[in-house]
Amino acid sequence: MNAVASEPAIEVEHLVAGYGGRRILDDVSMQVHTGEIMIIMGGSGSGKSTLLRHLLGLNRPISGVIRLLGKDTGRLSADERLALQKNIGVSFQGGALLSSLTVGENVALPLREHTRLAAATIEVMARVKLEVVNLGGFEHMMPSQLSGGMIKRAALARALAMDPKLLFFDEPSAGLDPVVSSELDDLILKLRDALGMTIVVVTHELESAFKIADRITVLDHGKVLISGAVDDVRNADSERIQDLLHRRSRPVHLSADDYMRRLTGE
Amino acid sequence: MTYKVTTESGFSIVHLTGDIDLSCSPEARKAILDRLAASQHTLVDLSGVTYIDSSGIASLVEGYQTARKKNLQFGLIAVSEPALSVLELARLDKVFPIHASVADRAK
Amino acid sequence: MRQIAHSIGRAATGLVEEFGYYLALTVESLYWLCWGAVRGQPVRLAATVAQMRETGVAAAPIVFMLSFAIGVMLAIQGIHTLRQFGAETQVVLGIALSVTREFGPLITGILVAGRSGSALAARIGSMQVNQEIDALCVMGISPVRYLAAPAVLALLVMVPALTLFADLTALFGGAVFCSLELGMSHVAYWDEAISFITVDDIMQGLVKSVLFGLIVALVGISNGFSVSGGAEGVGRATTRAVVLSICYLVLADMLFTYFLNR
Repeated sequence: MNAVASEPAIEVEHLVAGYGGRRILDDVSMQVHTGEIMIIMGGSGSGKSTLLRHLLGLNRPISGVIRLLGKDTGRLSADERLALQKNIGVSFQGGALLSSLTVGENVALPLREHTRLAAATIEVMARVKLEVVNLGGFEHMMPSQLSGGMIKRAALARALAMDPKLLFFDEPSAGLDPVVSSELDDLILKLRDALGMTIVVVTHELESAFKIADRITVLDHGKVLISGAVDDVRNADSERIQDLLHRRSRPVHLSADDYMRRLTGE
Repeated sequence: MTYKVTTESGFSIVHLTGDIDLSCSPEARKAILDRLAASQHTLVDLSGVTYIDSSGIASLVEGYQTARKKNLQFGLIAVSEPALSVLELARLDKVFPIHASVADRAK
Repeated sequence: MRQIAHSIGRAATGLVEEFGYYLALTVESLYWLCWGAVRGQPVRLAATVAQMRETGVAAAPIVFMLSFAIGVMLAIQGIHTLRQFGAETQVVLGIALSVTREFGPLITGILVAGRSGSALAARIGSMQVNQEIDALCVMGISPVRYLAAPAVLALLVMVPALTLFADLTALFGGAVFCSLELGMSHVAYWDEAISFITVDDIMQGLVKSVLFGLIVALVGISNGFSVSGGAEGVGRATTRAVVLSICYLVLADMLFTYFLNR
């Protein structure tokens, strides 16, 4: 199923970002359409995690504009920001479940904090979310008692708690065995189809990327190499993209003099 | 979201229409639980539902639970496509009695 | 020379930055405590109560032991010193005033810094490392409201309460030793102590203890939030929180005492 292009759910324009004088993202622009699954790919150090942090509003850009669901995130009042955050769900790489709460309480937390629903309703909702991610019956466990795959799924359940329009997923398959990670992929597809969510997945796993993506953005050294439909990316003639896709190691271009200088530290 | 309540073949029927989300599901919940509190066999008509989130689903679950406790009949009728896909996601399509119409249910 | 000037400059800006952070943290915590409920995002009562139990009630036995020992010690030293003037019976004055004005709040403050300051830094620090703080932010739950404000409130209430408790037990320690050494009756001791202690003395101790509570909370919380670098970072932040808060505590105590007694 290909998503119909409509008003973009995410627009990034000329984003420049970095920490302490070091530039990590350089003039990044991209769009994610409503209802599509966008994969942000890149090797380590490509800036994909930094891009995610900026999309989530955890870091402020040096320059550039980020619009989520049509709202310019740089110019929001506290209330507007909160309203936007209620429409966004995030599943962090390590789960980031609050370790002092049970799994069920973690999933219910956003609902308890942000809605005035009856306690019974919230409890049922939290259990429904856990059922959706196949963790039914685990609500009384503490996060420390869960395996890696279960933590990822619990984190996804919490991300879904508020029925967000926009879901971010950081490295869904990192550290998981292939079966579990493929189940997560299927779940992501089901969520998009059933709930019409816009989903952004940051990953370096090629296989799962091609399985679930509508479109792919490839980052390298803080720049967008390509942002397009799966086939466009697969058939791109840029050498660097092909290197990334076929897991070829980078050729090392280095002069003998430079190399000597590095080794001797002069 | 809007709702209205009708009566047909001994059932109270709560017709829900539009988007059912966090902002209005308490209203839907109350409408359903009120019917059950009045000891009425209740059906929820979801034909006009364009979107339902998990708070709406939770309200239906609570309705079903209440009905079972009070030995009342409860069911969903004419579930719209968007609502059905959410029910399927939560695997609740196997749990709720779902029928095409009131007449179907009454049989 | 320039390098020295450079590092002094950097240390100074670091210090200003740190105090700015403390100030911001105080203001934001107070904001949530006062206006959170109005905005529909109250500071959680359950967390505050739990924090009070943890920092206050659970600390009572150790506060009891330490301040009892301090009371005995003051009595020993006081009697030893005053014996040279043949004025042992005046020891009660010394114990009563030094306990209420100085030792009660200071011992409590140092103890709470060691127990709760470190715990706060470690807890918030490991949450930072596990991205739990990030998760709270993206869920629209202010970490200051959710984590910091309950701790600030709990310490602001519990440190003065513990200080009063410490005052009493230290005086009790003095009483026990005086009755053994000087044969002074408990009734006479307490009568005398109460006649010496003014409301001002107790207030001076209490005002200081409020300040100490704030210092421990701010230093612990801000060191927790600023953790980076994994488990090692959490350890560093915990140590730093304890050492810094004890330093600030003693410095603040000195300044405060100086200005209050002018």
